[in-house]
Amino acid sequence: MNQPETNDPLDALLHEENKYIEDNGFTARVMAALPRQQRRAGWRPILLLGATAVGYVLAIRWSAWNLIDLSALLSLNLHAFLAYGVLLAIIASLLWGVTSSLGWEE
Amino acid sequence: MSFSDADLIVRVLSHEDQNAFGELVRRYQSPVRGFLARMTNGDWAMADDLAQETFLKVWQKLRTFRGEARFSTWLFGIAHNEFRSACPRRKELACADVETELESEAAASATDTHLHLDLTEALRLLNSGERAAIILCCQNGLSHEEAALVLECPLGTVKTNILRGREKLRRRLNIAYENYEPA
Repeated sequence: MNQPETNDPLDALLHEENKYIEDNGFTARVMAALPRQQRRAGWRPILLLGATAVGYVLAIRWSAWNLIDLSALLSLNLHAFLAYGVLLAIIASLLWGVTSSLGWEE
Repeated sequence: MSFSDADLIVRVLSHEDQNAFGELVRRYQSPVRGFLARMTNGDWAMADDLAQETFLKVWQKLRTFRGEARFSTWLFGIAHNEFRSACPRRKELACADVETELESEAAASATDTHLHLDLTEALRLLNSGERAAIILCCQNGLSHEEAALVLECPLGTVKTNILRGREKLRRRLNIAYENYEPA
């Protein structure tokens, strides 16, 4: 590492003998032995689940009839598309919230 | 781009960045494994096991590193503690005082001018305190104060161990020095 500061042959010998040791997979073994990253339930999953629940209640009240009426969807009714869009968004948010709370993402 | 130790430590602490920690391991595996190999009298398997435990402890304890000393000093301290923990299980490594052995071998060498012990062999004849102090200060560039922190002993003890250790090495390697030519 450091150069010897004196002309003492003992220092020179000690320095010469301090050779670099090749890694040879040592770092990989250490990294493999590290504990897995802890799953942390942060604020985001809680917020997501709460917002999803509120959105779900509101959406059901607003669009229940539009969801039931499939003929409105087939007739390209804008309200029907919005209702199904909201439903899909709710399902996606719910899945995201659940997976986040379980720590399946980084 | 090369990150400083401090940069890597911040990344590990703030993002649990295992890549940054891997870089720290790559950077320091050689001096730590070399130190432990010397301390275990060349038992590389044991040295690597202890080095691995050392880095796992570093991962666990990195939040306690306050930056008052160099990272390498703190790291060597953990490595030395790992060695000391292993010492009761392997008493022949370093716990026994080898002063008597050294004196008898030195007497033998005085009568055998052709006897040559390389540095590795000579270091084995030091006790663990002397060996650790020599390796840390004379091979790894730590100051006496840093070595005292690593070895958790008074500064005066480190200085004494270095003086005694160097004197023993000098006596033991004396024959080699007669023909010594710096590389």
